[in-house]
Amino acid sequence: MRFRTELKNIRTFSKLIAALNSLEKIAWVRLDDEHVRITVIPDTGSQVWASLSVGLIFDNYTLQSADVNNTINLELPLGPLQRALKSAANSNHANLRLTKRDGVPMLSMTIHTMTKDDAPDGRSGGGGSGGLSKSRQHHNGSTSTPDADDPFGDVFEQESLELAMRREHEKVITQDIPVRVLNPATVETIMQPVIREPDVHIQLPPLLQLKAISDRFTKLALTAATGRASNNPKLELSANMFGSLRLRLVTDTLDVTSVWNGLENPELDPSQLAMPVEEHPSTVFKQAGADKWATVRVDGKDWSRVLSVGRLDGRVIACFCDDHALILYVYVPHQDDSNAEDVVTYYVSSFSS
Amino acid sequence: MAVLNFTLSEEGATVFHDALACMFKFSDDVCMEARQDKLTLTALNISKSAYICFTFAANRFFSRYVFEGNAQYRDRFFCQLTIRALLSIFRTRQGGELPQSKDSSIDKCDVVIDDGPGKKSRLIARVICRNGITASHSLAFEVKPPTHAKFIKDEAQNRWTISSRTLRQLMDHFGPGIELLDINTDNDASLVNFTCFTETMQQRRGGEDDALRKPLHTNIAVEMDEFDVITVKDKLHIIISVKDFRAILQHAQITGGELTTFYSDPGRPMKLSYGGDGVLCEFILMTVGEKDASALKHKNPRQNAAKSAKQPLDAASHRASSVPQAAPPKPNPTQQKLAPRPRQSQFEIRPQPMPPPPPPAPPATADSDSLFVPQADEDDQWEPLNDDDDEEVDQIDRLQWNSTGEPVMIKSSHFHT
Repeated sequence: MRFRTELKNIRTFSKLIAALNSLEKIAWVRLDDEHVRITVIPDTGSQVWASLSVGLIFDNYTLQSADVNNTINLELPLGPLQRALKSAANSNHANLRLTKRDGVPMLSMTIHTMTKDDAPDGRSGGGGSGGLSKSRQHHNGSTSTPDADDPFGDVFEQESLELAMRREHEKVITQDIPVRVLNPATVETIMQPVIREPDVHIQLPPLLQLKAISDRFTKLALTAATGRASNNPKLELSANMFGSLRLRLVTDTLDVTSVWNGLENPELDPSQLAMPVEEHPSTVFKQAGADKWATVRVDGKDWSRVLSVGRLDGRVIACFCDDHALILYVYVPHQDDSNAEDVVTYYVSSFSS
Repeated sequence: MAVLNFTLSEEGATVFHDALACMFKFSDDVCMEARQDKLTLTALNISKSAYICFTFAANRFFSRYVFEGNAQYRDRFFCQLTIRALLSIFRTRQGGELPQSKDSSIDKCDVVIDDGPGKKSRLIARVICRNGITASHSLAFEVKPPTHAKFIKDEAQNRWTISSRTLRQLMDHFGPGIELLDINTDNDASLVNFTCFTETMQQRRGGEDDALRKPLHTNIAVEMDEFDVITVKDKLHIIISVKDFRAILQHAQITGGELTTFYSDPGRPMKLSYGGDGVLCEFILMTVGEKDASALKHKNPRQNAAKSAKQPLDAASHRASSVPQAAPPKPNPTQQKLAPRPRQSQFEIRPQPMPPPPPPAPPATADSDSLFVPQADEDDQWEPLNDDDDEEVDQIDRLQWNSTGEPVMIKSSHFHT
C-alpha cells in the first residue's frame, strides 16, 4: 500500500478541512486513481460528501493498493490535518505520504518553509536592542580585508549582508497525522444518501450574509427561549422557483423572517434527468406560482456549522424537497482550469414541521 | 534614607513589565535583589524545574539608580513581591493615536524601597503620566533571601546560539496539546531537530479511536548553518517542557536578540540566555533524564518523563549563608504570604487531552448589533455558532437519511402537530 503526493492549492484544501472539522472531528477519506473523497458523518447533524478530483489539491500523485479498484480508505482526524495544513500554508512546497512510525500508520506531511527574519514586530526591548546585534559574534570572519583607503570599505555592511544571506535556509517540518487504514469491507456499507428529485433548486445568497443572519436568529431564539423550549432552536428555510429564499424563526414570543429575492433558480439539464423536464417536481412547483414554497426546518447550530463552508467561496445551490430534505451543492472551482469544478455535497439534517 | 531608589523611563517601565509578564508564566512571586551595580529579579516555578533571572545594570538600564543600603543591608537588599501587583503598576498605558490619549502614557516611574528597624517595609512606586496624572502605589513585601539555581557552566559542553525570532517562528508550527520538546542533533546531516511530542493518551474509552486522538507529532529540522554558534555532541537528545520554552521565546522575541543555550547531559540543567540593552535574561531549566529519555521510545514513558521533568534544580549553596543568622527582621505577620498556591497560567498551552479543545468564542458577527456583516475575510466569521452546551439534539422529529430516497421519521411519543 503506497500513497504519496505533493500538495497544491493548500489554501483551498485547508479551508475545506476547516469547514468539515466544524461538523465532525474524524473523517473517512477514500483515495482512488481519480478522486479524493472526504466524508464526515456526525452522529447527529449534517453529513458531507466531498468528492474532489485529485488534481485539485494533489500533484505527482502515486497510489498503490492491493484492492482491485486501487483504493485506499483511511480514517483521519481533521484537527491535526488542519493544523498541519496551516503549517504548510506559506511553504515553498509540501508533500504527503502514508507511512508508519513505531508501527503506527501515519500520514506524514513534509513541509519546506522559510522563516522571516524581518523587522522587530512591536516595540524593541530595553533602551534599544540594537547594541546587541552589533556585538554579534563575527565568527565566520571576513575573507576580504577592506583596504584602509577604500572609501567604500565598510566591514559592517558586508557582514550584515552575509548574515542576511545565511538566514535564507529552508527548514524542513514534518507533521505526522495519525490515521487508521480501513478495510474496504467495513466501508462498503456506507452509502451516500439517495434523494428524490427536489421541488426547488436555488442559488444561495452570499453565505457570509446568510450565516450572520441565521446565527443572529439562532441567538435570538436562545435568548427568547422559555423553560420548555429546547436549546437547539430550529430555523425554517423556504424557497420557491421564483428566486426567493426565506429564513424564518418562530418561537412562543416572536416571529422573524428574512427574505432574499432575485436569486437564481438554475436551469435543469434535461440530459441529466431520468424524467422529462415537464414532469420534474420543480416544474410543478414553478407552475404553482411564487406562493408555492418548499420548506424544511434545520437546527440553528448545525446550520451554522454547515454554512461554515462559505469560506471556500464557491457557488452554492440548495435543493429543497418540501418538508423532507435539504441538500447543498458547493462548487469548488479549480484554480488552474476555469472549466473544472468539484462538488462538496451537504446533506443538511432537517426536521419535520 | 531609603534603601533603594530608582527611576525608570517609559521604555524602561515597558521592559520591566515585559520581564515580569514573562516571569508570571512561571511563578506568582518574584524576588528582587538590589546591589550597588545591579538589580536582579529572580523566580522559581512551583515544581522547581525552572529558574528565571533578569539582571538590570544599574548604570545602563535605569535613568537613575541609588542603592544606599543601611546597617542591616550593607551590600544587598532583597525582598519578595507578588508579580500580579507589580504588573499592574508597570502596565503600559494606552498611547493611542489620538493626541488626548497619548498623554496617558508613562513619562517616568520612581520606585523607592524603604525598610529597617522602626520603618514601614514598603515599595512605593510613583508613576508619572504624560497627562500630568501621578499614580502612587504602595506595596508590602516580604523580606526573604532569593533562591538561586546552580548552573555549572564548565560542565555544559553543548551550546548553540540562534536568532530568537527564527526560533519563535518555528514554534508556531507546533500544534496544541504537546508537552515535551526534544532537541537533538544529527551531525552527518548537519541538522538540529526540534521534535515535539506527547506520550500516548491515557486510555479513556478504550476504543480504537484512541490512535486517532493523538496530537500531531511535529519535527522541525534546522540546518546547523542557521546557528551563529553551535557545538553539540552528535545524536544528543535533550528534552525540556514546551510550555517553558514557549514562554521564554515569547519574551526573547521582544528583545529580538540571539538566544544562547548551554547544556550537558539529559537530567542536568540547561541554561538559556539573551540580552537587551542593560538587561540580561537567564533561564535555567531542568531537562528530562537520560533513563527517561530512552524510555520515551517505549510504550508508556509519560510518567517517567513527567516525573523527571519536575526534578528540582539545585539551590545555590550561598542561598542562606550570606544572610546573617539573626539579620532578617521578623516579617510583620500581616505581610506574611500565604503558602504558594498553584499559579494561574496566563496562557494555557496545554489543552485538555480529551475531549478536543472547546470551540472558539462566538464570532464577532453574531455578537454585533447589526445584521449587516463586515466584508473582511476573517476566518472567524466562518466559525460555527457557539455550541458550548451538549449536543443534546432532541430526537423528536428528526428526519434520517437512508439510501432509499424516502425520509424515515424517528418514532417518538412526544410528537406534536
